Amino acid sequence: MSLGTPGFHFVASVDFNPLLPSQSAPIFTISVGGCDVIVSNHMLVVAAAALLLLACIPVGTRPRRTRPGGASRSRMVPAVPAGLANLIESICVFLREEVARPVMREHTDRYIGFVWTVFFFVLSLNLLGMIPSEQIIALLTGKENHFGGPATANIYVTGGLAAVTFLMTHIYGIRQQGFGRYIINFAPQAPWWIMPLLYFLEIITAFVRPFTLAVRLFANIIAGHILVATFLGLILVFKNYCAAVASVSAVVAVSFLELLVAFIQAFVFTFLSTLYIGFSVSPEH
Amino acid sequence: MTFFSGSILAATGTSISSLSIWAVTIGCGVIILAAAFAIGWIGSRAVESIARQPEAGARIFSTMVIAAALVEGITFFSLLICFLALYWMR
Repeated sequence: MSLGTPGFHFVASVDFNPLLPSQSAPIFTISVGGCDVIVSNHMLVVAAAALLLLACIPVGTRPRRTRPGGASRSRMVPAVPAGLANLIESICVFLREEVARPVMREHTDRYIGFVWTVFFFVLSLNLLGMIPSEQIIALLTGKENHFGGPATANIYVTGGLAAVTFLMTHIYGIRQQGFGRYIINFAPQAPWWIMPLLYFLEIITAFVRPFTLAVRLFANIIAGHILVATFLGLILVFKNYCAAVASVSAVVAVSFLELLVAFIQAFVFTFLSTLYIGFSVSPEH
Repeated sequence: MTFFSGSILAATGTSISSLSIWAVTIGCGVIILAAAFAIGWIGSRAVESIARQPEAGARIFSTMVIAAALVEGITFFSLLICFLALYWMR
């Protein structure tokens, strides 16, 4: 596909699709009860993030005790957290005091486990997507592979996270208030002739909210990855070292921004999930 | 833009009219214009209120981040629709 104008020397046909590195690639297939389940690299990354959190967080938050002033072993007191425990505890305290308590007030401690899980899971998925493990393994072993990739750049992964939030919002609301009270408090109090319209709007809102959660996280993460892939693809287009230097420095700068976006999007996902759970467990109207 | 659209065309095997490429590009420009204004306003009001009351700085900063992320959310919905329109309009 040449451009047809005289003096245009760029080779305009490049075999590179910047959307490709963010897509899920099948790794192996297992057959469960008659149907074949294709396991993709994003599914493996989700499992890896879950195993990482299951391994690191209990180890990091083990209760540590210390002896003040060389006291005897029977007078040990809890130690000030340090290192990984300090990091996890400061994040958890921030989420509980600044994010959850203003919204959920007296129900904070009951639902804070879900809030913490959502934040750490989304954050670890975002950050694992920033590690170019496919390219590292290809450099080390010389084989083309698809281990690792941006899992939250997959609409089905973020859709699954949003679906879980949707389910838990309504399950917590029904468990807290009882099914009848939950339905009654679903819409604000208004004259009887406008209530059907209000219920209709509230039901639409209930479905649009998790959809926006999923699309917001998906679009932010995949935009960053497409940008990095586009910049690196420019090296293939221009095919000289100057372009490579400029392109790689731009990729480094964009990657810093992407790390910031990973944290911010995990925080926003968690904050909005907390808000929706707070609305459903304590009738706001 | 033509560098990659050639390979995307070849990869997907569809024919995308130049009108749709023009429409998507101009649409993206308008979306980014609105998003830049919105996030700029949020940022400038946040900085003004931190200057008025420095001890509320942390709360104002986190509110600003949340509002900017919500604006970015709707920006990305419309950008996604623009991108999908490339494939809807043949």
